[in-house]
Amino acid sequence: MYGWVGNILKVDLSQGNISTEPTEPYVEDYIGGRGLGVRLIYDHYRPGTDAFDPSNPLIFNMGPLTGTALSGSGRVDVTALSPMSQLRAKSNFGAYWGPEVKFAGYDHIVIQGKAEKPCYLWIKDGTVEIRVASHLWGKDTYETQKLIQQELGDPEIKVVCIGPAGERLVRSACIITETGDAAGRTGMGAVMGSKNLKAIAVRASGGVQVAKPHEFLELSIQINNEIRKHPAYQELSQWGVSRGVQMMYQMGFFPVGYFEDVCWDELLQKYSAPDYIQKNQLKNMGCFCCPNRCMNFISVPHIGKGLTSCEPFSGFTGAVWNLDMDVFWEATLLVNKLGIDCTETSAAIGLLMELYHDKIITAADTDGIPMERGSKEAILGTIHKIANREGYGDLLAEGQKAFAEKIGPEALEKVDLVKGLSPHAYEFRAFKGTGLMQAIGHRGDPLPLRGSLLEVDWHHANDWFQQVAKEQFGDEKAAVPTSYQGKARSAVISEHMERVADNIGVCKWLFGLFIYQDADMAAKVFQLVTGKDWGLGHLMKASERVRNLERMFDVRQGLRRKDDSLPKKFFEQPLTAGPYKGEVLDREKFEQMKDEYYQIRGWDKETGIPTREKLSELNLTGVADEVLGQA
Amino acid sequence: MALKTLIIDAQKCIGCRSCESYCALKHENVCNPAKGRIHVVKWEQEAIFVPINCMRCEVPACELACPKHATYRNYRTGALEVDANRCIGCLSCVFECPFGATFVDPLDGRVLKCDLCDGDPTCVKVCPTNAITYEEISKEAYIKLTQNADRIPLLVKKALGEG
Repeated sequence: MYGWVGNILKVDLSQGNISTEPTEPYVEDYIGGRGLGVRLIYDHYRPGTDAFDPSNPLIFNMGPLTGTALSGSGRVDVTALSPMSQLRAKSNFGAYWGPEVKFAGYDHIVIQGKAEKPCYLWIKDGTVEIRVASHLWGKDTYETQKLIQQELGDPEIKVVCIGPAGERLVRSACIITETGDAAGRTGMGAVMGSKNLKAIAVRASGGVQVAKPHEFLELSIQINNEIRKHPAYQELSQWGVSRGVQMMYQMGFFPVGYFEDVCWDELLQKYSAPDYIQKNQLKNMGCFCCPNRCMNFISVPHIGKGLTSCEPFSGFTGAVWNLDMDVFWEATLLVNKLGIDCTETSAAIGLLMELYHDKIITAADTDGIPMERGSKEAILGTIHKIANREGYGDLLAEGQKAFAEKIGPEALEKVDLVKGLSPHAYEFRAFKGTGLMQAIGHRGDPLPLRGSLLEVDWHHANDWFQQVAKEQFGDEKAAVPTSYQGKARSAVISEHMERVADNIGVCKWLFGLFIYQDADMAAKVFQLVTGKDWGLGHLMKASERVRNLERMFDVRQGLRRKDDSLPKKFFEQPLTAGPYKGEVLDREKFEQMKDEYYQIRGWDKETGIPTREKLSELNLTGVADEVLGQA
Repeated sequence: MALKTLIIDAQKCIGCRSCESYCALKHENVCNPAKGRIHVVKWEQEAIFVPINCMRCEVPACELACPKHATYRNYRTGALEVDANRCIGCLSCVFECPFGATFVDPLDGRVLKCDLCDGDPTCVKVCPTNAITYEEISKEAYIKLTQNADRIPLLVKKALGEG
């Protein structure tokens, strides 16, 4: 095969068994990467199994384009049953590990069972070995990677690993590679820890075969050059998201605190991430073969060095009322080294600060640390407590809800979760489509999607982006943040576009959001690499199949229409400040958007379950029979 | 035409390995950085990355070491190339290179040597930070010369206490 390297690696840590299965039978329906991973977890997960049960499969998914000489080809998708939501987990990370696994000859890795003692997996080309990791247990993610490279005598070994948080089964623990690339969300590090699996190390010298190497080389160089001329590149490759975040705050798109007010005057005036970048950034860096260097490598004396992008820039600033960028950096390094998800952790700290502010908790509830808004001690102290499961951190490690339940009903009332996860920190009251996409999404946090970013872009040139919305999603209003119109279709199409990139194993930022704002280019390179004549239509249909199978997995877990919702504050507390002052979600109109969404999807409006007709159309009759009962 | 060569500025390198990957695709029709004629040595926890490529030495150790005269200079581009028909795979050139810039195909043991893509290097086209550029040798030497000379007046002023 071209693109795919042909094998699914299966490791049973309980038995020590290692085997492979061919990838080929799956690819026409599921393509690869995320999509094929959904099929694998649907087949391998036994309903009723706990997330920490040895048989919960932890699955790493590379796509046919992962590891090719193409911008953004470093991506890997991870899935399992999430210990946070008891639904299908999904997280995606970049850097250099995924390509190396492809070079070793594997498209996917399915890990089941639990090792008797701490172990790590060593993949060297075609050989796979389960090695002792007792000496690595307790080490942070930086140390672990270095120690493995030293032990195996090769600094070019690529490693994914967990930190102490994953070992201690902190439910929001993540998987880390290099100095800050993370499979952050849905608790994949905790699942890895529950298997006594500290790391997966890979080194390989194989390659990915290409069907049309000359044409692919030419187009790939063209893509590299187009990206480098794009305005989004100019911004990201110099500033990362630091200036973008500032803009989002001004726009009222990012909330402050625990979804409190959109407008905190001090933050708007004093947000200094761009200055901090200018002063402390050594380099902008990115993933395998990617010119778009969206991550900042920051080095601050006495704090440390590492990479960051995205979420920490708002998570450890506005979300926790913090303006001290040294605290932002220390917190970011801490979560990456200890191996916990930045988004969930900053939200949890935000919750504590809100509870303290409203006098629902006192310092006595948090081991004597007062949860003052913006307090350095509160931010850094809580990270340590969660990762080490000390004191109140032990409860927070079980989740925000577990902590609030212990405090009482007043605290529980405050918790804002969607499907067991902190929602993406966007302001859903004003941005209706974004709100819909968050609510109906496949996990508690499915963003960003193209349709949602369009609501942001709209501010820059209203007419232009309304025209874009009409062309892309069939309705001008799809771009207007406060409109409920056209959002359902925009959500459906965006979800399919996102899966095209995720399924073929490329970065959705490049191929679907910022540079190429649809899936056309992704489809074009897919054909050159794989030699398959499947066009955009085939890829989008596969995306729809994947979306429906994801849904059916969760339906099998008990998910229904009522779970497709948002915390009630978004319906009940209008914004009191900022450019969208007075905006709030209208419950009725919101439910109408959902009706429309289910209708376009061919799902039952009452229950939110895909209909048998839709599933049959998508070649998922077997799934329909299993979950809906025999026809 | 004036002779050109690859100039590498390691300070600019971000370790993305585009050069390795596109090089392998161009020469071997496969996506496998291990088959590249350029290689990036990485210290990712320090953000230090060093691309290693043939230096096209005036007195090339690889050429001198070759018992079969398989390594030769392409006088049109200045590149040192390997005649696969003469090469016996003894790897003398690989071990004699003082820079470690002569590579071996890990799968079949062939010597991999940068041929400057016949005067149109692929790596240069895709390097996002211009850490690799293709420059006229005389011009680069002249830049170095002026940079060096630039320091002298300053030093003189300093010595005279006019700093």
